[in-house]
Amino acid sequence: MSTNAKTLFVQHFWKDSNRTLDYYLAEMNGYEAARKVLGGMTPDQVVEEVKKANIRGRGGAGFPMGMKWSFIPKNSEKPKYLVCNADESEPGTCKDRQIIRYTPHLLIEGLLIGSYAIGCKHAYVYIRGEYVREALLLEAAIEEARAKGFLGKNIFGSGFELEITVHRGAGAYICGEETGLLNSLEGKRGEPRVKPPFPAVSGAFSCPTAVNNVESIANVPHIIRMGGEAFAQLGKIDKSGGTRLISLSGHVNRPGVYEVPAGSMTLRQIIEELGGGVWKGKKLKAVIPGGSSSPVLTADEIDAVYDVEPLMKIGTMMGSAAIMVVDEDTDLVKLLLRITKFYAHESCGQCTPCREGCHWMESLLHKMVHGEAKSTDVDLLVDVAGNIGGKTLCALGDAAAMPVQSFVKKFRSEFDAYVKGQRSHA
Amino acid sequence: MPKCTIDGKEVDFKAGENLVTVAKRAGIEIPVFCYHPGLSVVAQCRMCYVEVEKMPKLQTACSTQAAEGMVVKTQSEAVKKGRAGTMEFLLLNHPLDCPICDKAGECDLQDNSFGHGSEFMRHSEERRTYVDVDMGPVIQKNMNRCIHCTRCIRFGEEVAGIHEMVAIKRGNNIDITTIDGKQLKTEYAGNYSDICPTGSLTLKDFRFRKRAWMLKKTPTVCEGCSKGCNMEVQHEGNVVYRCVPRENLEINKYWMCDEGRFNYQYAQDPSRIVDPMRKAGESWLVTRWDELLTALRNDSGGEDVLFLVGTDLTLEEMKSVQEAARIWAPRAAIRSFGTPGVESSAQDGPKDGILKMKSKTSNLKGAETLGIPPLLGAAKSTVVVVFRGGRAELPRIEAKKAYGVGVFLEKERNSVHAILPGLSFLEKDGTILNHQGTSQTLKRALLPRGKSKALGEILMLVLNQKSSEVNP
Repeated sequence: MSTNAKTLFVQHFWKDSNRTLDYYLAEMNGYEAARKVLGGMTPDQVVEEVKKANIRGRGGAGFPMGMKWSFIPKNSEKPKYLVCNADESEPGTCKDRQIIRYTPHLLIEGLLIGSYAIGCKHAYVYIRGEYVREALLLEAAIEEARAKGFLGKNIFGSGFELEITVHRGAGAYICGEETGLLNSLEGKRGEPRVKPPFPAVSGAFSCPTAVNNVESIANVPHIIRMGGEAFAQLGKIDKSGGTRLISLSGHVNRPGVYEVPAGSMTLRQIIEELGGGVWKGKKLKAVIPGGSSSPVLTADEIDAVYDVEPLMKIGTMMGSAAIMVVDEDTDLVKLLLRITKFYAHESCGQCTPCREGCHWMESLLHKMVHGEAKSTDVDLLVDVAGNIGGKTLCALGDAAAMPVQSFVKKFRSEFDAYVKGQRSHA
Repeated sequence: MPKCTIDGKEVDFKAGENLVTVAKRAGIEIPVFCYHPGLSVVAQCRMCYVEVEKMPKLQTACSTQAAEGMVVKTQSEAVKKGRAGTMEFLLLNHPLDCPICDKAGECDLQDNSFGHGSEFMRHSEERRTYVDVDMGPVIQKNMNRCIHCTRCIRFGEEVAGIHEMVAIKRGNNIDITTIDGKQLKTEYAGNYSDICPTGSLTLKDFRFRKRAWMLKKTPTVCEGCSKGCNMEVQHEGNVVYRCVPRENLEINKYWMCDEGRFNYQYAQDPSRIVDPMRKAGESWLVTRWDELLTALRNDSGGEDVLFLVGTDLTLEEMKSVQEAARIWAPRAAIRSFGTPGVESSAQDGPKDGILKMKSKTSNLKGAETLGIPPLLGAAKSTVVVVFRGGRAELPRIEAKKAYGVGVFLEKERNSVHAILPGLSFLEKDGTILNHQGTSQTLKRALLPRGKSKALGEILMLVLNQKSSEVNP
């Protein structure tokens, strides 16, 4: 693979034979990066290289990955763990699935390098329960790597050892939240923990733990191969290196997983050039730019560059880079009801505002859609969302509140039409 | 000592203390539901919001440790709105059945709703309801009232050492229940009711018997074993309705076992003997105090007399028996009895690693301090006089004449030939030494029942009775 390639992943997708170790070794310089790391780099040098790469976490929060690794205490006597978050549960997101299906060895090599960097001897991949086939594929790939001596004891004669366990979830959105994931991994109820302590200090089994998204980890071999600076320069915007895998869905002509250099395109360009524009020749009404929890954008707001900071400036977020396109004929009240129903269903129930509030919001929206709401219910809905957002134990509350607040703020007339009886459920 | 500022007051704190604790010391109350000082911090109820300078969001005081120079506001508009929001959420599905709820009057949900909630309800949807499981003989469950604070789950796991309460399902459907709906197994189940901040887990024993605000409260010490857990007797009209633990971080922290909690019941058992009685053939007759006092004095003055002192008596009572015996029965041997197999404090020790001790009486250490040797085996003597508080286990008595002085139930009376009714631990003041030798005070909560008399009075009458006109 040439380091000058514009894309790092997508050229290997959609061909079943690409997922084999043979392909990875022959076509992608497979395990060369790990060999280089174990052969002569110190863990600190690896972390430093990742810092230079300016790679932001690909799971949703966008936290700089090198920084996260540097928080793992070096002098702790406890075992350390690297946990790969493959729960990919934010609605609209389907990029990690592609990585696991077609380039599983990128992930395994990334885990190998990451584990070396933080001093982990047993890494976990927590994969969502629905990804049955992907879990099997990943386990098969791990077996391939182990057979070649890329996993196990004394890897590449360096004395370094690593085992990887694939742990399947049971279908809960909340287990994509890193501490909920860790609880589930430990066999407990999938409920987020109080922070601090953060996982870097007390994570899996109360030991220092780094939790990273699949795409983040799969980028690590690229970073080592091309060097942190070159990786950073793939990004076309400050503080964001590499490429981004975008899950484009909704009312576009060509939905799918696309890869673009970070910050190289606006939202409009992505929808029009990559997605082929809104389907059926319709007009654009709204865009949900970063998974269903991100605040919605109107058709006028999509000229922002698609990356973490430009989106933050216009009051929304890049999240897991899952763009959902909404055409002009879509009923946004019903869409919001569907989104809210999802969060109410996925709330773990441990903290009060999320447990009670999400369900209340769902009830209010349900009443609106069915013509049973009062005119004051729109304001009540926004107020309830305000009592959830920023007040919960984990980010699920925010995830539920943000769409409600933004939908009502930007498309108020549609809600008013329902509560005034001008529109009703067909 | 490091200092932080809460509502403009400068407050000292120790490293690691959370804001709820530090604020409390400054006289500032932060409302809580899920936080309990004896349990781990989970920050789930979201009631204890405070504003901390330089932090953008409201913080939960339970999970925020005080730090040098931290500036905290507990009464800002944002805090008030946050707490009101949480109160509103908690009451969405609460049945508001305070008039028929045992917790009313001592309910955190009620108190915090009054202090921080709104008098209006904006919610008009149907409430969530549950079908309750039977939790066994101690606890009555009412899940509709639950606010999911998980104190009960944490108490089981962290204090009682048993994983029996769990949360099942999730979100709005979450249910706090027992594993597979089984009955509670722990011998500390009463605490579930104490720590429940609503009327979701109440005591079956207390159910519908008394409103909380009618109860008088007497701080005393449990006599159930040599641990000496601090407790409060709650009573009204000379009837005890329940006992609850009192905080003592050195001894029982915030907890007590069910055996101790319900131990009070024997003292108001209808079969407790509260009249002077003697055995006539196979049956028992109520008799006069003066008759028994005279008989006791005459019988116990001679040779081969054994005085048995229960290790459930107070130090004062034991000492009085020793002193009275010196005058009245100088040749009597004095021995202690209490728990078979645990005759000395060397044999005593933790029973379950939680609170319970092997010695089932409260004052074994006290008897040793007074130099009273233990009775080993059966009590064999011409005359045996048993002084007993009500809990010490009666030994086998082989005597021509045996007297019981103190508390006896009907089923226990055939060990002796006559009973001079005395006081239980609820009816007297006195001192006991727990297994560590810590001196603690029993406080009188009730007046003596029936014709029973304090041991001091009985001894005084035995020694100095002049008139035959003792209150019959």
